[in-house]
Amino acid sequence: MAAVPSTVEASQEFLISELPEQSSLGQDAWRRLKRNRLAVVGLVIIAIFFVTALISIVWTPYPTWRQALGTTYAGPSLLHPLGLDDYGRDILSRVMGGAAIALGVGVGASFLASLTGIILGMLAGFFKGKVDALISLTINIFYGVPDLLVALILVVLIGRGLFNIILAIALTGWLGMARLVRGQTLSIREREYVEAARTIGTPNLMILSRHILPNALGPIIVQATYLVPAAIIFEAFLSLLGLGIPPPSPSWGRMASEGYKALQIAPHIVLAPCAALSLTVLAFNWLGDGLRDAIDPRMRR
Amino acid sequence: MSRGTLVYAAQRLVLITVTAVVVSSIVFIGIHQLPGNALASERRNNPATEAALLHHYNLDLPWPQQYVLWVQGLAHGDMGESLVNMGVQITPLLLREARVSVTLGLAAVLITIGVGLTLGTIAAIRQNTWVDYVASTSAVVGYSVPSFVWAFLLILLTVSGFYAWTGGLVYENIGWGKIEQIPVPALALGLPYAAIVARLTRASMLEVIRQDYVRTAWAKGLKARVVILRHSLRNALIPVISILGPLVTGIITGSVVIEYIFGIPGLGQEFVSSILSRDYNIVIGVFTFYAVLIGLANLAVDLIYPVLDPRIRY
Repeated sequence: MAAVPSTVEASQEFLISELPEQSSLGQDAWRRLKRNRLAVVGLVIIAIFFVTALISIVWTPYPTWRQALGTTYAGPSLLHPLGLDDYGRDILSRVMGGAAIALGVGVGASFLASLTGIILGMLAGFFKGKVDALISLTINIFYGVPDLLVALILVVLIGRGLFNIILAIALTGWLGMARLVRGQTLSIREREYVEAARTIGTPNLMILSRHILPNALGPIIVQATYLVPAAIIFEAFLSLLGLGIPPPSPSWGRMASEGYKALQIAPHIVLAPCAALSLTVLAFNWLGDGLRDAIDPRMRR
Repeated sequence: MSRGTLVYAAQRLVLITVTAVVVSSIVFIGIHQLPGNALASERRNNPATEAALLHHYNLDLPWPQQYVLWVQGLAHGDMGESLVNMGVQITPLLLREARVSVTLGLAAVLITIGVGLTLGTIAAIRQNTWVDYVASTSAVVGYSVPSFVWAFLLILLTVSGFYAWTGGLVYENIGWGKIEQIPVPALALGLPYAAIVARLTRASMLEVIRQDYVRTAWAKGLKARVVILRHSLRNALIPVISILGPLVTGIITGSVVIEYIFGIPGLGQEFVSSILSRDYNIVIGVFTFYAVLIGLANLAVDLIYPVLDPRIRY
């Protein structure tokens, strides 16, 4: 009799020592992400832009709207490292202020679009039938329409404030997320653990939030990350066409559009915001690629 | 083309029509819920003139009645009259502009596919060499740089760069109407998507060149060109084709901006200027045109599938 517990103890000890170090899926993904050089570079660039954006809210070298700071179209100098634009405004200050708008719109629109897409996608995938038919029909119809045009019309209809721009972009951006979440939900709802949960009488809302959402979270995070640069480009498109956040707000797209008429004599006016924009988008795409590889190593290409 | 394909295409054409009508109806109804009317302005018109104008555009009727009239017109291919430039019929105007947009779009699609397939194939057959790294890295950079930034860079290069180097022989002539005005905007429009196509081609080629039948093809001594083009690329194309649908939508979206920058008189430019001048009849018209164009492009993509992969049938 005395031998039994000691055997159990011994076998337990044996098992524990043989098991690899325990780590959650999230920790695993984070470890793989840290090993991805481009993803880390992307993360650092994003962090720098975020800090810049936060600083620009309380301080910029010059007020972003102050005109006639020197010779108009002046190139880079010590006082104005990125030069002055056609109204004699400091471009560095405006690029800094533009970071706040770009990131605000990008993150805000991605969040709103993801939220909408997750809710509608889960409803469609979980309840199937008529709910799914209605949601899928909406998605399919709007997939056949260029999203920029929808956003342009929405902006004209609801106005050009910061929140309205975010809303217009989110209203066109949720389709992809809804499609993704619907597919995930359709497959996850057939798994044994969902069936088990249903058997013991777990309410639907609990199944959706405790079982389906956490298991679909990986692809959702990746998709939400890709939505940020898409929204940033979208805001730049709207501003470039003159339908973005109204002046004198320093949106990158508007700066590019204002500088375009002087592209040949003062390319720095266009190049500075374009470089900031491309770098931000690139960083988010690197991070997104890294996250995709880290969260689902099978997807690795 | 088999009978099944024809039936499938016919069904899709019906669906395209339905989508176009639904989409433009949503826009029509949405716009007509706005307060005021399209002719309202700060300038005070003579009431009689104003009433006559409203009557001319059917704007004095309740909106459901306007909607019925508008759908009847659409069924006859009549999209009504411009609100800003009285007397300008919208359908012929947009047909003319659609030709410009389609030309630009097709040129961009050709560039996208040509550049994308070439880069992707080379990267895949030279996997993990410096060629692959350069191609893969430039692909991410390629699609992170928005089309209008490409446009500015290309304009700078062709306007200042080549102009100086060639002593004025090569310069960018912005506008539309001459054949040499097509490549630069088409390149700006196509480059971001070429990068996406390159990435997809590389991934899909890498899978295909590890298949047994490719090894067999090499083993029986076929030429590299035949193995790569006929055995590998043709099969690797199937997943790549699936991106063509979203790609066409993306190129149409991008063309709105590109046409605006290069002053190209296409549908995109028309859309922007009419939305700014509140010419809602044209806005609805362009929307309908785009819905049809996208539908047709997607249909064309679906009809290419069975050509590449005989297992797919409709």
